[in-house]
Amino acid sequence: MTMTSFEQGQVHQMRIHVMPTKRFKTFAIALYIGVPLEESTVTEVALTPFALRRGTETYPETIQFRERLDDLYGAGFGFDVLKRGDYQIVQFRMDIINDAFVASEQSLLQQSFAFLGEVLTKPALKQNKYRDKYVDAEKETLRKRLDSIVNDKIRYAAERCIEEMCKNEPYRLHPLGKREDIEGITSESLVKHYEKWLQSANMDLYVVGDTSLEEVQKLVEQSFQLQRSKEVNYELKAPTRQSRDVQTIVEKLDVGQGKLNMGLRTSITYGDDQYAAALMYNGILGGYPHSKLFVNVREKASLAYYASSRFDGHKGICTIQSGIEIENYEKAVEIIRQQLDSMKTGTISDLELTQTKAMISNHVRELGDSAFEMIGYDFNRQLSGKNRPASQLLEQIENVTIADIQAAAQTFELDTIYYLRDRKGE
Amino acid sequence: MQTIQHPELQETVYYEKMPNGLDVYVLPKEGFQKTYATFSTRYGSIDNHFKVAKGEDTQVPDGVAHFLEHKMFEEPTGDIFATFANQGASANAFTSFDRTVYLFTATEQIDANIETLVNFVQNPYFTDENVEKEKGIIGQEIKMYQDNPDWRVYFGVIEAMFGIHPVHIDIAGTIESIGTITKETLYTCYNTFYHPSNMLLFVVGGVNAEDVIELVRANQAKKDYGQQGEIDRIFAEEPTAVHLKRKVTHLPVSLPKCLFGFKEKNILELGAEQLRRDLVIKLMLDIMLGSSTPLYQQLYDEKLISDGFGFEFNSGKNYAFSIIGGDTPDPDLLIQRIRDAVEAMKTTGFNQAHFERARKKKIGGYLRMLNSPEAIANEFTNYKFRDCDLFEILPVYESITLEEVNESLRNHFDWEQLAISIVESPSQSNS
Repeated sequence: MTMTSFEQGQVHQMRIHVMPTKRFKTFAIALYIGVPLEESTVTEVALTPFALRRGTETYPETIQFRERLDDLYGAGFGFDVLKRGDYQIVQFRMDIINDAFVASEQSLLQQSFAFLGEVLTKPALKQNKYRDKYVDAEKETLRKRLDSIVNDKIRYAAERCIEEMCKNEPYRLHPLGKREDIEGITSESLVKHYEKWLQSANMDLYVVGDTSLEEVQKLVEQSFQLQRSKEVNYELKAPTRQSRDVQTIVEKLDVGQGKLNMGLRTSITYGDDQYAAALMYNGILGGYPHSKLFVNVREKASLAYYASSRFDGHKGICTIQSGIEIENYEKAVEIIRQQLDSMKTGTISDLELTQTKAMISNHVRELGDSAFEMIGYDFNRQLSGKNRPASQLLEQIENVTIADIQAAAQTFELDTIYYLRDRKGE
Repeated sequence: MQTIQHPELQETVYYEKMPNGLDVYVLPKEGFQKTYATFSTRYGSIDNHFKVAKGEDTQVPDGVAHFLEHKMFEEPTGDIFATFANQGASANAFTSFDRTVYLFTATEQIDANIETLVNFVQNPYFTDENVEKEKGIIGQEIKMYQDNPDWRVYFGVIEAMFGIHPVHIDIAGTIESIGTITKETLYTCYNTFYHPSNMLLFVVGGVNAEDVIELVRANQAKKDYGQQGEIDRIFAEEPTAVHLKRKVTHLPVSLPKCLFGFKEKNILELGAEQLRRDLVIKLMLDIMLGSSTPLYQQLYDEKLISDGFGFEFNSGKNYAFSIIGGDTPDPDLLIQRIRDAVEAMKTTGFNQAHFERARKKKIGGYLRMLNSPEAIANEFTNYKFRDCDLFEILPVYESITLEEVNESLRNHFDWEQLAISIVESPSQSNS
């Protein structure tokens, strides 16, 4: 395992993580800014990065802003708003060519930090001239994004299943916020919220590339105009224990293919000792083309093109998704339930065990080849407070037994069945 | 074994042609954990009419290349995914207009995985029963795409542009067309297009080139392939004009989706000339429509476009076209605005500064792509199948002139060649 670890420092209460390496042709920068997912702030948090990407003090017009990125050899710049456990996290990313490959007069890394620092701490949003214009336009963009979720039925069904399943928890909220809140946000309220967010949010800055912790700390001091007084840490809550009957939700839309989604709850999360067993549970159930769902729903019964499962280790939720012929609903549910039962009874072959171990281990080892994957993996540690280096996870996976998986399976309880179908019979 | 060095990119590629005609390329990446391998045939959805040497003229149902891709994974011993999983590899495949690619990524047992990849693709196993069973699965794949408005609007442009050329046929075919596929159809296509002389193996990652090539040499030496004559791909003549000016599809969407594009009149042979033309057009589209242009910003401010707005240029055997657009409340106004801006730009031409900036951006994007073994393998094969070399793109970018780009702006945006595809909700309909 040659995955080197991150060197750590801190500037302005922002945690800095640097991995010096010459393996890539680029510098990868990621900045995670996280706050608890809350109904009252979810939409403003979501809107903030949209408004920030319109311009900065030095490049107040969006055209100037984008031209600047082009001048940095088409530096990649992007952001995402993520949901991790009950946290809402804004992630900014930059991806810049290592100067060694191009004839650049000034350090591209330094210029990129100057740029990112301004995006976050000196946005054009703070200037009266730009405030309303940018906020109005980005409100519209955010609204369109939320509206468009329904266009992709696979994604829509997945979101709806979670929404129904977590009706009484913040986790039901979409990371992009609530459509009905957008109207009420003004440029004043957004700027006020932004100032508070800068003060109170968790901040983790990652850099992977041919640099050092010292250099990055210096660049952060120069480029980020932050005054943050108190240290903040992520505090993930234990999964909510709810014993209840399985709820079934059927929704009708104009679709040709039915989308069958299921949600299961488990008490196991990233910080748990049973985490590796839970990963194995998900892998054997539906993580791969050799898994029970693919083999039984697709290959044996020919019911679907896709049938898989996903495990969210920060929330303790496992979801199942498949696309089926509308009238095959009962048949598909029955086959999937049989797979869940066989997980509980430990009906798992040695072959399934070794195949799944090999696949998960391969995935973990591959992380080392991608700067952003390594960053994402390390960020799990910040979020969960659990330090589990990749080498340790590999060892734990190797040691999982069928009995361990069966024990983990007892904690996975089916909670919600969501079915999106056509409008026939309405 | 040939060694091809690219010092400016700090990359070295190793190459050997096997006696049976198979091309093998290896790109060692120091410090990388994973190895990514692709085994590709020059065979895609457009190759539905062909003959070999003086053989019979054959026409096959739509969707065969893709169907074949699905069925290759089945071996007499069971599903090949299981074998890969045993060896810690994750395997996959895809079919495009002009190629079918089988691939795996793995961090261990690389030799065994390369052998598995080569062996399963070189060992077809089709039965009446397994062909029938696959129809249900592919049927659901087709239905999944039918419900996907992004796919429908994208394919809609191609369907509008081309009436004859098979590029307009959905890669998976239709439920009806795949219904007529039999194991005999599959064997006919397999025997034609999976001959080693029509294929390319690319291995990139933490490997030793000589070891990989030796392994393939030994593997191929054990198999008996006769010589195969030239494959003649038959394309009926496609008119220059677009097939339909406008194609509207109804699906529930939050905003209309509009993609439009220009069908190239000038059809070039595959090779260096086509590569240069393609790169010039891609650069031109970026200077005209990229996110740092005044036009983009104007359209965004007018709320005619949103983040998903984009553009691309595609070309292959006997076809070439651009696609532009995204979600918009008013497709016709969007096209009109772009048309006005393009016409104005045609008279003034682009300025040098914008041209240089866009070129810089393209070079940066190219270098960033070289971080990804997956992208390298896929793009390298893609270019090779067009008789070009991925690692020789940088000098082409550097030699492109402003005049060339201005000329391509004037030639490509020919409004006679415009085709429009719109996906809108039944209630949004006014066309």
